[in-house]
Amino acid sequence: MPKIEVHEKLFHKFLGKKLNHTELIDVLEAAKAELDEVNKEDGILKIELNDTNRPDLWSTLGLARQLKVYLGGKPSQFDFYSTPEAQKEVDDRVIFVDMGLQHIRPFIAAFVAEGPAIDEALLIDLIQSQEKLCGNYGSKRKTIAMGIYRSEKLEYPIHYIAADPLSTKFIPLGLEKECNLNEILTLHPKGMEYAYIVKEYKKYPFLKDNKGDVLSFPPIINSAKIGAVEVGDSKVFVELTGTDMYTLVLAASIAACDFADAGFKIKPVKVCYPYETPLGSEIITPFYFQKPIMLDIQEANKLLGETLSPAEAAKYIEKMGNKVTVEKEKITLFPPVYRNDFMHPVDIVEEIMMGRGIASFTPVMAEDFTMGRLTEEEEFSRKVRDIMIGLGFQEMIYNYLGSKRDFIEKMKMVEDSIIEIANPMTESYEMVRNSIIPNLLASEAISGNAVYPHLIFEAGKVVLKAKDENYGSKTKNYLSFLFSDREADFNDISAKVSALFYYLCKDYTLQDVDDPRFIKGRCATVFYRDKSVGVMGEVHPDILENWGIGMPCTTAEIDLDQIMK
Amino acid sequence: MEAVETIIKTLHPLEIKVLLHVETGKKLNAEILMQELSFNLGQCNQVFSWLSMKELLAELERFTIISYEITEMGEEYYKQGTPEERIVTLLEKEKKLTLPDAAKYLNIDNKDVGSTFGLLSKEGMLAMNEDKAIYIADKTKDQRLKHLRALLDLLHEKKSVPDTELTPALQKLAASLSKKRGSGSSICKQLERDKVVYILTTQGEAVKKALQTKGVTGQEIGVLTAEVLKSGEWKQRGFRSYNINTPPVRVLLGRKNPYVEFLDKLKDKLISLGFEEYDGPLVETEFWNCDALFMPQFHSARDIHDVYYIKQPQYAKTIAEPYLSQVSHAHENGWQTGSRGWGYSFDKQFTKKLILRSQGTVLSAKALVNAKIPGKYFGVVRCFRYDKVDATHLADFYQTEGIVLGKNVNLKTLLGLLKMFAEQVAGAKDVKYVPGYFPFTEPSVEVHIKHPELGWFELGGAGIFRPEVTLPLGIDVPVLAWGLGIDRMALMSLGLKDIRDLFQADIEQVRLRRRS
Repeated sequence: MPKIEVHEKLFHKFLGKKLNHTELIDVLEAAKAELDEVNKEDGILKIELNDTNRPDLWSTLGLARQLKVYLGGKPSQFDFYSTPEAQKEVDDRVIFVDMGLQHIRPFIAAFVAEGPAIDEALLIDLIQSQEKLCGNYGSKRKTIAMGIYRSEKLEYPIHYIAADPLSTKFIPLGLEKECNLNEILTLHPKGMEYAYIVKEYKKYPFLKDNKGDVLSFPPIINSAKIGAVEVGDSKVFVELTGTDMYTLVLAASIAACDFADAGFKIKPVKVCYPYETPLGSEIITPFYFQKPIMLDIQEANKLLGETLSPAEAAKYIEKMGNKVTVEKEKITLFPPVYRNDFMHPVDIVEEIMMGRGIASFTPVMAEDFTMGRLTEEEEFSRKVRDIMIGLGFQEMIYNYLGSKRDFIEKMKMVEDSIIEIANPMTESYEMVRNSIIPNLLASEAISGNAVYPHLIFEAGKVVLKAKDENYGSKTKNYLSFLFSDREADFNDISAKVSALFYYLCKDYTLQDVDDPRFIKGRCATVFYRDKSVGVMGEVHPDILENWGIGMPCTTAEIDLDQIMK
Repeated sequence: MEAVETIIKTLHPLEIKVLLHVETGKKLNAEILMQELSFNLGQCNQVFSWLSMKELLAELERFTIISYEITEMGEEYYKQGTPEERIVTLLEKEKKLTLPDAAKYLNIDNKDVGSTFGLLSKEGMLAMNEDKAIYIADKTKDQRLKHLRALLDLLHEKKSVPDTELTPALQKLAASLSKKRGSGSSICKQLERDKVVYILTTQGEAVKKALQTKGVTGQEIGVLTAEVLKSGEWKQRGFRSYNINTPPVRVLLGRKNPYVEFLDKLKDKLISLGFEEYDGPLVETEFWNCDALFMPQFHSARDIHDVYYIKQPQYAKTIAEPYLSQVSHAHENGWQTGSRGWGYSFDKQFTKKLILRSQGTVLSAKALVNAKIPGKYFGVVRCFRYDKVDATHLADFYQTEGIVLGKNVNLKTLLGLLKMFAEQVAGAKDVKYVPGYFPFTEPSVEVHIKHPELGWFELGGAGIFRPEVTLPLGIDVPVLAWGLGIDRMALMSLGLKDIRDLFQADIEQVRLRRRS
């Protein structure tokens, strides 16, 4: 979930109101936001935004826009966008897209913002919203990347082309010499960070103006010449490139709304594609593609447990900054240009909840009668655990993930007998256990100073490989216990297994087995109803040595799912 | 007087005997106890140490006694003769011999023969001629020989001989022998012992009198045994009082793990509130882990760095129909749910990808397929996250989640449910609800509580499952979905700070752990 830094003065200016921190905390609920930290010295608030579908809230301006209306202020009026029905004038502001980009990074959206000189607080906020839009919402620039330029230096039309990585050169921001695109990917910090987006292609996205002046190598880095915006600039060109048209156009609208709220005039730009896109081959951005969505008041009342009239409901929806019309039982919502999170009428229901305030809904108890119960496995496990405790064992609980060294090497197990993680973060957690015995031995290995005897057990889950299963594996409930003392031997563990089965009212038989974990001739397979359900024996000194254990150990492991039947 | 009473209870029978035996003003030492009460030395030392610690006896004087004890080598020389004796006997027979010949003959090291000759020639008994042969020069100068033998005889007979019982000559010899060399290569070793003389203190006198008054003899029964019961001797003898404040020995017992116990109680509480437990495999598919919950396949939380993938096999064989088709259509265009869908092409291979389940909600989605209406379900289940393990993060951990299905459930019953959890599970009175965000619920709510000890914190999240979640899984009534964060309460209940300690492997730590 994104966290933003909000310049308190700037925030209050756009909000048109001063709030103390207690008031702010309450109001932030209307944006599903939380006040995380207050830095009194430089007047910065750290705010966490919980709704990952509301990127419009991830800037000082966007957050202020939402809360201003909620607090009764006038909603922002935006008229800079085109719609499928009404197109805005663009003069010469046109971008031509190269055919070669269709399968690399096919879409671009842009606009020009002209207004007051940008001050430092605003510049910092613009950079932050650019980062959040591209980093979080744009999946680390993969689906959205954004560039801001000084627009006076540009000559239209602008060309968005697929360029040759070796012969295309320019001086990127942050470096002083000319590099080709390949060199940027290996030398420039941003190049290294975002190379993964483009490096599999033969040609890379590239943006230049009609004079041939380089704007940028999207989604990597701007040029040093026109791609550096500074405090005092007042005319900027903003472009966004990406792989999903709707996400991209929405992001462009969000950026434009922020500029507009900061007092800038937005001038649209036309993009001409040589291929079809979900929004046609010529699009003037910012563009309003959102569709109205309709809610039946009965549906809303059913979900809310209320009896609101359509007019009441509409009032609350409007309080959240939305435009609605009401016709009898039906409420139609026209999403703001900066939002695209109304997928289903239930999304409007939440607007009603928030507009009205959650505190206005009285908690009531559901009246349906239902019967509570544990799973059969849990009931059985509890019975087993009670017996083990009666036998003097201390119950343990372990993590299910572990290392190959512990689960395989120290136990002398066969490599592919255990479910392995394809993308482990560290080698300490690279496998899911298929036995609890390694966990018990790991405990022994670090508990040499604990008073003996040691009697420990766990009843927990393991995962076994199982070819015939749909998932290729099976999760099972196992019981394992271990007895360690100066003279712990087979008879000790055998006596405990015997007692366990007696009190579970189950019969079992034993058969000799060869198992590298145990001393030969001092271990057995446990059979229940002719099925192997476990193993027990004296742990082999080889294994004890692998774990660095200096005391004899005997152990048993039983498949509880099998003996439960 | 109370002090005396207390002291009496702590007295060992040996102490009682000594106290009753010693007379006021009379000196007491180990020898006396050994003689008069037939104590052994160990008992003497113990009883003196106990009684002086209790200040019933006081140290009157203390002096050091030197004594000598025979060593193994001394015993050997006693039997076989000392090297001095053996050389003289040999020379009496052979008259003249070189040192090496003598050494060979006696089977003694060259240098030992040399040093022995040196000692005897110094006294004038032996001498060496020009041919380097040794011979007896004066048989009467045998003082060293005699003294050595006398010392050996004495040591052999008494094992330990006080310095004071030796003649000055023997004293000198014994001192020089045991000081020169280590005990191993000498015929005797020197021991220093402190000899202490004790006297009864005033307090001791008081205790003695009290013992006499009460008729305590030190013969009272200690451990009550079956034999004592059978013989009936308890009828004649009283019982020794025990000090009830003696620290008891440690008991090792069979016990539940306190964290498991905490989870058990949580489950019991949920059952008592009418919830039925669900469970499922640790290995799951992308389909149930996320797709069925309407999280788009391009969702940022579905990155390779958020879930653990299974190495082999990588994919499930099948995903049950009609759920696969219905869910995929819901993603693509909303299917019959009234939603516009996410508008992308659903990847039916990716959805079969096997992972370790990353959220308990998987089981809620699976439970929907066979759920009763009305129905209440819960699970306290192990989940896995691609997280760096530290004091607040684990790679595998428990999540507590559940669902409530019913024709008439709604936002208000959802709040009622959360209120019930806050009161019943967390014991909180103050509850606050704020709007929340979860990809699979709308509306979504968070519940914050004022815990009696932890203060305000987020107890959990909940919401009403989106129709895009429920309808493709065959459920057409509203479903409340909830999750509770219980780790903080578990840590507090167990008196822990570090979440890793919930899964403590150290046996001693687990044995000592308690749950308040």
